[in-house]
Amino acid sequence: MNKDEKPSGEVFLREHEFDGIQEYDQKLPNWWLFTFYIAIVFFVFGWFAYYQLPLRIQSDAERIDGEIALIEMKKSVELNSLMASLTDNSLFEMSRDPSHLTTGQGIFDGKCAPCHGADLSAKLGGIALPGLPLNDAEWKYGSKPLEIMKIVTSGSPDITKGMIAWSTQLSPSEIAQVVAYILSHQPKEVP
Amino acid sequence: MLTSKKPNLESVTSINADGSRYFIHPADVSGNFTVWRRVFGALLLAVYVLLPWIPAGGYPAVFFDLAGRRFHFFGLTFLSEDLWIGFFLLTGLGFSLFYVTALFGRLWCGWACPFTVFLEQVYRRIERLIDGDAFARRSLDQSAWTFSKTSKRIVKHTLYLVVSLILAHIFVSYFVSIPRLYGYMQESPLNNAKAFGVMLFLTGALYFSFSWFREQFCLILCPYGRIQSALTDDDTVVIGYDELRGEPRGKKSDPNAGDCINCSRCVQVCPTGIDIRNGLQMECIGCAACIDACNEVMDKTSRPRGLVRYDSMNGLAGKVRRYWRPRIMLYTAMLCLGLAVAGLFLTGLHSAKLELVRFPGAPYYVTETTVRNQFRLHLVTKQNAETTFMFSTNELPAGAVVSGIDGPVPVSPGGGKMLTVIVQIPLESYTESFDVTFEATVNPGDFVLSDSVKFLGPSKYLLQ
Repeated sequence: MNKDEKPSGEVFLREHEFDGIQEYDQKLPNWWLFTFYIAIVFFVFGWFAYYQLPLRIQSDAERIDGEIALIEMKKSVELNSLMASLTDNSLFEMSRDPSHLTTGQGIFDGKCAPCHGADLSAKLGGIALPGLPLNDAEWKYGSKPLEIMKIVTSGSPDITKGMIAWSTQLSPSEIAQVVAYILSHQPKEVP
Repeated sequence: MLTSKKPNLESVTSINADGSRYFIHPADVSGNFTVWRRVFGALLLAVYVLLPWIPAGGYPAVFFDLAGRRFHFFGLTFLSEDLWIGFFLLTGLGFSLFYVTALFGRLWCGWACPFTVFLEQVYRRIERLIDGDAFARRSLDQSAWTFSKTSKRIVKHTLYLVVSLILAHIFVSYFVSIPRLYGYMQESPLNNAKAFGVMLFLTGALYFSFSWFREQFCLILCPYGRIQSALTDDDTVVIGYDELRGEPRGKKSDPNAGDCINCSRCVQVCPTGIDIRNGLQMECIGCAACIDACNEVMDKTSRPRGLVRYDSMNGLAGKVRRYWRPRIMLYTAMLCLGLAVAGLFLTGLHSAKLELVRFPGAPYYVTETTVRNQFRLHLVTKQNAETTFMFSTNELPAGAVVSGIDGPVPVSPGGGKMLTVIVQIPLESYTESFDVTFEATVNPGDFVLSDSVKFLGPSKYLLQ
């Protein structure tokens, strides 16, 4: 059999001794030293680049602010385009359109019916519900469709009544569809 | 030097005295453990490669949908609010490591670690196919750049890159799903820059790790290896050389010699470059190649197997090998506790969610006849099917009216709903605040969820 007589690698024991402890003098693997030197170079470059060049990696806060600003901008664009096209008449026309009515009903049943009643009468089996009836001709804050829309968007002017500004939960087009649904329950003689 | 470097206990074989790398080429080995390692490695590879292709509950079996912030796991879906499970998962894995290592040493390293599995079962096999056995590989390393060497290197590294690309893509598919990944692959990489970047980085990392870095990871980088080495005691079953039996080393014909004939096969097959006869060392990853190598030689010299074997340090010193000891008793007790706690919390995990919160606005409203509270009911389903919630409330004061829920509420698959719920009670009935509890029976699944909020009102002195 083979006896390997080759030296296995020179290992030097250094002479200095601390409390009976000595150390070997061995080199770190070159790849490790390499990454260390690269890190130094990267640091120098990176420091100058960060402060001198306009490159920036966004912080989380900046990124979130940017995304929120984008959302707000989209929302206001949608709102403006919708309000530009909405008139009392167009809302009445929507109230005659079955597709808008189905969506509007879905929203109404989930969000408005608890206070205004599923049949808009603000009564649940004879018991008065918090909201005002919406299926009659009496409108406390304005009877025009756009005025109705304003109430839904910004909430009741009387804050003790508990109707919140639904613009926080519904998009402008959803609000328009709910208003259309409400209008569809109006007696047909009202212009 | 066409034979392997002789290991010693003072230095690391794969690092030369001048800091350059000594590339280790382990010799071929065959035996029981080699076979079992290959089988187990093949199994693990199959799991890794096939899991994203297997559907479960409408989604891939394991799908960490980062974009949708949902984790799908064998039919169960977890949302970000279930992240607490991650606590049990991580601590459980960490604890299992402690437990298994105390019993069996670095079993993970040699048998299950992805690094070992990829390196030994995939990349080294490719190298063995193209470059030949250990002797041939060393000769090739030292030879000049002939046409044969150049073409072998090109073919080998191309194969390495292809395999790295495939593995990297499979990794990405765990987070993106195979169908979506296929879609990405047909568009420009810039459209999905993040996924592409991850894939590229991983390809590079895999290629670099398995073509060059190899055992340096185990020796220097990996924290688990060091931690595991610190978790063993003299009763841990590790791989060791039976000194009592093997020493003094000598020729087979020598009657005064021990069983070790100094063939150095155990050194030649070691992938980390140690001599197991020097004792248990930090570099040993427990791959059992030396066991197979020595057993082969023992067979040929008609001596009993097990000169190098799995045994505890105590066992190798001739004492009794015991598993059940104070450390293991303590670990077992902790395991039971951990499982109990995890089990307790996991019973609260459901495939749907119900939350009752107060509506924005005033905490209560008072009219001439009623006191009213406005609530919001959040319903979420994690199931991939339409889920219905059927509600009931607790006992409310006389004359209470609840509006907002008529009948069972359907929620679309994987979706949610927010309902407005109003609770009114006549002024006379209100004396003090009370709990309003909504209970829902959820189907499919037939389980019950509930949540409570306090019904608030003015002080009774104000009502008089």
